[in-house]
Amino acid sequence: MIINFKGAKTYLGTGGKSLDINKRTLCFLHGSGQNHLSFIQQARFFAYKGYSVVVPDMPAHGFSDGNPCKSIKENAEWINDLLVELNLKDVVVIGHSQGCLVALELNRILKNSLEALIFVAGSNEIPVNQFLLDLSKENPQKASQMMVTWGHGIDGDMSINKWPGHSHYGEGNNIMCMNKPTALRYDLHSCNDYSDGIDAAKNIKVPALAVLAKNDQMTPLKSGLKFVELIKNCETHTLDCGHFLPSEKPMELNSIINSFLLNLK
Amino acid sequence: MSENYKFDTLSLHAGHIPDKETGSRAVPIYQTTSYVFNSTEEAASLYNMEVGGHLYTRISNPTVAALEQRLAALEGGASALACSSGMAAMHLVVSAICSSGDHIVASSKMYGANINLLQHTMPRFGVNTDFVNPNDPEAIKSAIKPNTKLVFGEVIGNPGLDIMDVPEIAKICNSKNIPLVLDATFNTPYLMQPFKHGANIIVHSLTKWLGGHGIAIGGAIVNGGNFDWGDKDKFPTISGPHFALGGISFWEEFGPSALIAKIRAEGMYNFGPSLSPTNAFHLMQGIETLPLRMKKHIENTHSILDFLVNHEMVEWVKHPDLETHPDHEVAKRILPKGSGSIVAFGIKGGREAGKAFIESVQLASHLANVGDAKTLLIHPGSTTHSHLSSEAMKEGGLTDDMIRLSVGLEDINDIKKDFERGFRAVKKLNK
Repeated sequence: MIINFKGAKTYLGTGGKSLDINKRTLCFLHGSGQNHLSFIQQARFFAYKGYSVVVPDMPAHGFSDGNPCKSIKENAEWINDLLVELNLKDVVVIGHSQGCLVALELNRILKNSLEALIFVAGSNEIPVNQFLLDLSKENPQKASQMMVTWGHGIDGDMSINKWPGHSHYGEGNNIMCMNKPTALRYDLHSCNDYSDGIDAAKNIKVPALAVLAKNDQMTPLKSGLKFVELIKNCETHTLDCGHFLPSEKPMELNSIINSFLLNLK
Repeated sequence: MSENYKFDTLSLHAGHIPDKETGSRAVPIYQTTSYVFNSTEEAASLYNMEVGGHLYTRISNPTVAALEQRLAALEGGASALACSSGMAAMHLVVSAICSSGDHIVASSKMYGANINLLQHTMPRFGVNTDFVNPNDPEAIKSAIKPNTKLVFGEVIGNPGLDIMDVPEIAKICNSKNIPLVLDATFNTPYLMQPFKHGANIIVHSLTKWLGGHGIAIGGAIVNGGNFDWGDKDKFPTISGPHFALGGISFWEEFGPSALIAKIRAEGMYNFGPSLSPTNAFHLMQGIETLPLRMKKHIENTHSILDFLVNHEMVEWVKHPDLETHPDHEVAKRILPKGSGSIVAFGIKGGREAGKAFIESVQLASHLANVGDAKTLLIHPGSTTHSHLSSEAMKEGGLTDDMIRLSVGLEDINDIKKDFERGFRAVKKLNK
């Protein structure tokens, strides 16, 4: 659905069902240079399971207009304002990659009033090398292509996909091309500049789940494992795939998230 | 570790890795109609398009999916769908994009079945086509109307071997927000990848060079993922609510793969032109050697072009790699590896000479196919077009002395010897 939010056209994926504020809401936060299509196989799955699902295209991403947020904190404030605008109260936030950093900050803003936090391919920090930062300014399309290649495991290389006929690389590149050209640059700088992750992770008092990827080259497994140690009682799983595990291992990821959600109060 | 493998590697590997249970190195043939659901919940998830997977082989099949994913990788597309023939692919694309009252701009120099579909069949369903010269971008631009929903052509025209200036035509389509759909059968992704030149959708007859061995009929659609279907007035059944799945918007839910998602949910579901898993396997075996075969096809084609151009019994030779071809410069630019292995040539002596030639060769096969590993010939004047006068054939861009040659992979000297046998028969006739 499309709403006018903060004066800009804003797209919210709802998984093919209407947003129902009386239900528990799963709010999915996409990663750097991504948009709601990162969660093609999660949004409909959980919407049809009876949850209310909202997958915002952040400003300048996907079908949303506006200017890109320039820091993780700004992203988190934007999401917080959106949750208020939509009058959503019973919310579980699920972040992927940069979306995990945004989820950490959002939890600080909301003072642990979320129902739960789920981190997919996350860490408390996502440093970005200078080459990619520079490339995202000079040639965002090339930078996107490199991220798509680095981000996938062997299933990307070999065009193996649970969705018949789909290519991780071809689809991934085009999803990133849907964003405004400046979106990736601000996303990557936001990640690189974020330094409050340790405090934010230690501050988590809500139920937490982390699903990490064994062959993750964007947020390496080693970094993810250090991150989950900072969180009190974080349920942790590792899947055998690359960074884009929502599309690489959709069924496995959905199953883990579903079990976690069923055990929440 | 991601490697971003090259074309030759993808031809062999894309779409399949050995499964952990059986270790089968080859892609298994999943000769099954249907798939056991682990639970009612899983079944519902598949029906609702919540997650990917297989329901019923009319919609998708693991062997066919391996072929589709290989094609998507080779073309650099977002997604692909394989079906029962190239013509099925063509009809699936047209029916997915167009509804009654819509309009198509198409090349006037195409395969007869493509022309028939657009000129005679689709108008019965309210979809009309204007045919224009594919070598005239301005004519294409002028033919586009407010209700035009796609522009269609063949990269290398069949049988006239006209070359479309894909980058120029793509610019026009892009400026009008109309998808450029190309039949890329004659070039295959080895010779040219149309998405790199701005095309949006590719259709293939897999029966020809991609399969390459004349043993299985099949077709495919490859979706570039580079077209914005977001205009709900223009593409209401892709971006607006669709009757399927409670009003799904394929564009919002599947983005770059919206078209393929729609074709699978509507075209395959309602029309049912599915590809058999066994044929998918045969076609994939062909694709494994596509780079090797295409190199040899082009090498043999260039050798036979030299032979024919210099032969006393040959009146004319047509191939885009010859400087005499009107589209030679475009061919050099967009098909630098070569412009395919179809050659048209005329034999001195007209229709009777062509007939004598065809009936005298032994190695080259006289049949109505192209793109086989074996050399194929047909003389339209004495076969497919024998009922037409010379004048009527000319109107269709053919001549009664014309031989269409699909150059195979044999030792080219054996083919030349075979052709000499045919030319001797023509000489006897002329005496």
